[in-house]
Amino acid sequence: MDLFWQQLINGLSLGALYALIAVGYTVVYGIVQLINFAHGEIFMVGAFGAFATWVVLGSPKQLSWQAAIFGVLPAMILGGMIASVAVALLTERLAYRPLRDAPRLAPLITAIGISVFLQEFVRLFFGDIPGMPDSKRAIPFPTITGISGEAWHLGNVTIQLSSVFTIGALAICTVFLWFYVNRTKTGRAMIATSQDPSTARLMGINVDRVIMSAFAVGAALAAVAGVAHGLRYGNIDFRMGFLAGLKAFTAAVLGGIGNINGAVVGGLVLGVVESMATTFIPGQFGSPAWKDVWAFVLLILVLVFRPQGLLGSKGVDRA
Amino acid sequence: MNRRLVKLAAVTFVAGTLALTGCGSRADTSSTGSAAAKKVAKIGVIAPLSGDLSALGLGIKNSVDLAIKQANDSNAIPGWTLVLAAEDDEAKPDVGKNAATKLSSDNEVVGVVGTLNSSVAQSVTPVLQPAKIVQVSPANTNPTLTQGKDTANPARPYDNYFRTCTTDAVQGPTAATYLLSIGVKQVATIHDKKSYGQGLVEAFSKAFTAGGGTIVAAQTINPDDKDFSAVVTNVKAASPAAVFYGGEYPQAGPLSKQMKAAGLNVPLMGGDGIYDPAYVDLAGSAANGDLATSVGAPVESLSSAKAFVAAYTAAAYKDPMGAYGAQSYDAANAIINALKVSLAKATDAKSARGDTVTALGSVSFDGATGKIAFDKYGDATSKVITVYKVTGGKWGTEKILS
Amino acid sequence: MKFLDSLSIPREKLAAFQLPAHIAGTVAALLGIASLVFPWSYSHVALDDVAYAGAPSALQFNYLGLAIFVAVLFAVPLVVRKPGKLRDAVAWNTGAKFGGIGLFVVGLVAVLAIGLETGGLVNVDPGGWIVLVAGILALVAGLVLDPSPAPSMGKFKTPRVVQILAIALGLGAVLMAAAFALSLDGAGAFLFYLVFAGVLALTLVRTGVFGWLAQCAADNKQVLVLAAFVAAFVFPFTQNGSEANMSIATQVLIFSATALGLNIVVGLVGLLDLGYIAFLGAGAFTAATLSGSVYAATNWHPPFIVTVLISGTVASILGLIIGTPTLRVSGDYLAIVTLAFGEIFRITMNNLDGTDGPRITNGSNGINNVPELSLLGFNFGAPHTLLGVEIGRFANYFWLMLVVLAVIMVVFVNLNRSRIGRGWVAIREDELAAEAMGVNTFGLKILAFAGGAFLAGLAGAVKAHHDVSVTPDQYVFLESAFLLAAVVLGGMGTVLGVLVGATILKLLPEKLRFFSDYRLLLFGLLLVFMMRFRPEGLIADERRQLEFHAEDEELAEEVEEDLINYHDHYNPDALVKEELK
Repeated sequence: MDLFWQQLINGLSLGALYALIAVGYTVVYGIVQLINFAHGEIFMVGAFGAFATWVVLGSPKQLSWQAAIFGVLPAMILGGMIASVAVALLTERLAYRPLRDAPRLAPLITAIGISVFLQEFVRLFFGDIPGMPDSKRAIPFPTITGISGEAWHLGNVTIQLSSVFTIGALAICTVFLWFYVNRTKTGRAMIATSQDPSTARLMGINVDRVIMSAFAVGAALAAVAGVAHGLRYGNIDFRMGFLAGLKAFTAAVLGGIGNINGAVVGGLVLGVVESMATTFIPGQFGSPAWKDVWAFVLLILVLVFRPQGLLGSKGVDRA
Repeated sequence: MNRRLVKLAAVTFVAGTLALTGCGSRADTSSTGSAAAKKVAKIGVIAPLSGDLSALGLGIKNSVDLAIKQANDSNAIPGWTLVLAAEDDEAKPDVGKNAATKLSSDNEVVGVVGTLNSSVAQSVTPVLQPAKIVQVSPANTNPTLTQGKDTANPARPYDNYFRTCTTDAVQGPTAATYLLSIGVKQVATIHDKKSYGQGLVEAFSKAFTAGGGTIVAAQTINPDDKDFSAVVTNVKAASPAAVFYGGEYPQAGPLSKQMKAAGLNVPLMGGDGIYDPAYVDLAGSAANGDLATSVGAPVESLSSAKAFVAAYTAAAYKDPMGAYGAQSYDAANAIINALKVSLAKATDAKSARGDTVTALGSVSFDGATGKIAFDKYGDATSKVITVYKVTGGKWGTEKILS
Repeated sequence: MKFLDSLSIPREKLAAFQLPAHIAGTVAALLGIASLVFPWSYSHVALDDVAYAGAPSALQFNYLGLAIFVAVLFAVPLVVRKPGKLRDAVAWNTGAKFGGIGLFVVGLVAVLAIGLETGGLVNVDPGGWIVLVAGILALVAGLVLDPSPAPSMGKFKTPRVVQILAIALGLGAVLMAAAFALSLDGAGAFLFYLVFAGVLALTLVRTGVFGWLAQCAADNKQVLVLAAFVAAFVFPFTQNGSEANMSIATQVLIFSATALGLNIVVGLVGLLDLGYIAFLGAGAFTAATLSGSVYAATNWHPPFIVTVLISGTVASILGLIIGTPTLRVSGDYLAIVTLAFGEIFRITMNNLDGTDGPRITNGSNGINNVPELSLLGFNFGAPHTLLGVEIGRFANYFWLMLVVLAVIMVVFVNLNRSRIGRGWVAIREDELAAEAMGVNTFGLKILAFAGGAFLAGLAGAVKAHHDVSVTPDQYVFLESAFLLAAVVLGGMGTVLGVLVGATILKLLPEKLRFFSDYRLLLFGLLLVFMMRFRPEGLIADERRQLEFHAEDEELAEEVEEDLINYHDHYNPDALVKEELK
């Protein structure tokens, strides 16, 4: 039973990470029906931005937990957000916007190109920024006193504080997002645009700005995920966005793409399924080596039996 | 920079005017060879010179370059100049095969140092063998390359293939002996499913259980994984006294860190793949107490190794020597030693290829990693293994075994 | 030219300069020829050794040819002043303009390549500077010229014999050019030659000579296809036993064959498949398992013909398994699901190693020692001597792949022209409308998916033997992206386009090793820029092009005309023509 609770905790924190990234896919898709394949790389850029901020702050190491959690960590998150939002807006402006009326294949292929480009760009040139380490191999992520390596023990179940941070960040971000979408003018403009872009435009909504804010919101959450990733795994590298992005997309589809709550639920479910599979599938196929396979099999099953996703409504399928 | 440009410009101007006035025609190129009568033999390198593993690959290339320069300076092979021919394999079998094909169609190539990855060797060696080009790998640890598929009944598949590193079949048991000797009886194993990691863990497990220990859990991860929480949870449930990991530092470092964060406070032990300063960087303070085996005696205990390190530093290469620098230097010197025999009576490089393969089998000298010689399968006979331990954030020598 | 327009010099003002421009252009080209009297570079390492006076290297002879051609383009209108058959046949002025641009670009590349390869522009000798000056002069002279009227050459009635001879000569020239390009070792030399060939081709297109060649080709399609295959078949003889080049050439063919399979799925039906490499892998793993290798899981070793068919079938079954559920949902999902499928394939192949699953693939070690193919007593691994030329191992596989590629191309072209092919294009252009018109969209999509997979499986079976070892890490997502890029770069839906795209993507990295670290970066940018500026690819399918440029009315008319002709060709019933008009 301990094993069950332990894997549940593992799964929830892993799922929270997926959910934070999945929101970006879902928000953008809900408005422009574009699978922003490069979103995984935006997440990666967020993590590198946070790391760079830490270096700029003078690589503070031996800090009290108060200074680390309330000083350095928020600064890193902010730095990560600035980097990821800037890159996301640039890609939207330079690559996606000119293709808005092109056949659907064009933006998708562009997204793949951007994804490869961003990975390579970080790999080749991050190390050239003065003070930054070579990024061709994994970079150790800074430890935050009070979070990194700390854990609570409940019986035999270990709850790492980095997991608590991830789940907490997801909770705060979800509340913030709910407020943003439902209670602000821009948020309501987003809803209107997603329902009917041309009518929204007629109503005086600046659709370009709405799309940009969708990219920005997704990128900001991805940056939080990037920091959470760094704290959880202790290192970041230029390739981290590919698999995480793919999983997050799976989570978004699982929850019902275009639905923000769905992305959160989908992420958590995916994380738990992945963790549980490694413990409770008997025999050779229960090896952790298969966990990614189970995640993708889940994606295919959902598409066959419930293409609108867990929380999606019928008729989402507009493509 | 500027001074160089000025100098270059001046030289060019003078030479340019000369060239304009009396430049020869294409027909007389053959007679203008100034380096009289020195014949050229090339030693190839096939290693990842770009991409993820380029840090290791460039170290290999530089170390071979160093060996060649030293041989040329000391005129080790009278009448011959050695030249480096480095090819990039990008750590991919496909690309490696192209590189091998290119080298084997170059008549001046007599030997090749490489590859880094066992998987690349598996497609490179079949190309080099028909051309009788000797290949010495500084880093392939998969036993099948020298002993064939069935290692219980070894049969050498490629007579041109040698290596200066030890195979998993030696490293694994040594690690097992060491753990048993410090009283560890219950070990969990994890490997990354690559040739190297899997082979290492298999060899380790066999020796460990034979010595009276128990493997309480056997897990695998994917080489590109970052999240090890599931594995760690499964391993922790079996409460081992140590974890033996087969794989390389990019995964081992984070694994050690995540293990200890999840409350599994036992040492992680691995092979030469994790014996790298980057491991400690990645694992952070969690690395303290972790162990690794590596081939050869520690650098500070061998004068030949110290000489190599000093020469490498003096040569001021842009890239560090990497984990396999000493082995590569030895591999190149092994070829050079064989060439001393085979080129002595050869008229051209291509005809010496077969003799080089034969000569390499009986090479024996003191290299940077110790005594270098090869057994009848092409494996290094030196089986010195050193156990290293992380203390205070640095690898330190724990014990030398042989 | 747009550039000139942006300078806002009205055409009328340039009228007086036509004669001087012709003279200047001719002089410039002659100057280029004269540059060969001097060495271009002080150092011998630049290009293919251009440091000799009065003894041009192979590349310099190529340059000489271009310069003479441009000189003729500039000079003929000076001599033939009156409009007439000769004057109107060729677009002299337009040709001269592009020739001028070409001389400039080639000169620039030459000087830069010499500078970079020798470590500084100081090593460029007078010859090199003359080339650059000649280029600049020719460029200016060319830009001043008025554009010519459309050349009439394409409409000439040419005797059949001359046409076939032209095709033969043209393909022979392409063959020689390819062989020569492969023989160049230095990156600078290769780049110089590539630019040279591109510029020459562009100039020929603009003069109208290509229009005439295209007419010849259109009138003799069978001859053209046959000649192309003969040229490809002869290719190994030009390599003089160079294994390295033949190995690259064979890989290009394998890559092209796979990309053609993908082209059915992406180019014709418009389904984006991001895991296509898995089908190639499925074919390769199947063939390796049945090859009789000691590492294979089974001892059954059927003849290669059977193995090939089984490989294709296994791949297409995988295609069905992945296609059937996902083709019901929409295109975007399909892209991601196929991507996920590609990952599932790779991880599964990694896991079937005896530890995490049954031992079939040996995990990441893969299946090694795949034996050489032996068909009807012909051993593909051993070199053979044919017509006095030694034909090595890779040449054998090259020919085998050529046959496989021919099969795939025949399938592709015939499908494209058939009812099925028209159904596919209908689905691509508007799935709902196609369904409403009674096209069985689901069945056709499944057919495309399984069929494309089958072709990739065929290529995979040969690849397994060619590569000797099959490992899962050859079948990663990036390879799928490369395949997609070959299709996108060359031109979705066209055979020639895919061949060109595949050649560029495989050959350039092999020859231009110095940018190998930046290869992927450029690759990513290439995808973005292609989608932005030429989404239909280098060699475009006209109907496809129209989808990306809906506002282009001229193009729309052309496509409509083609469709009418097409109908004429296949339905001699004139009524259709009337109705459509």
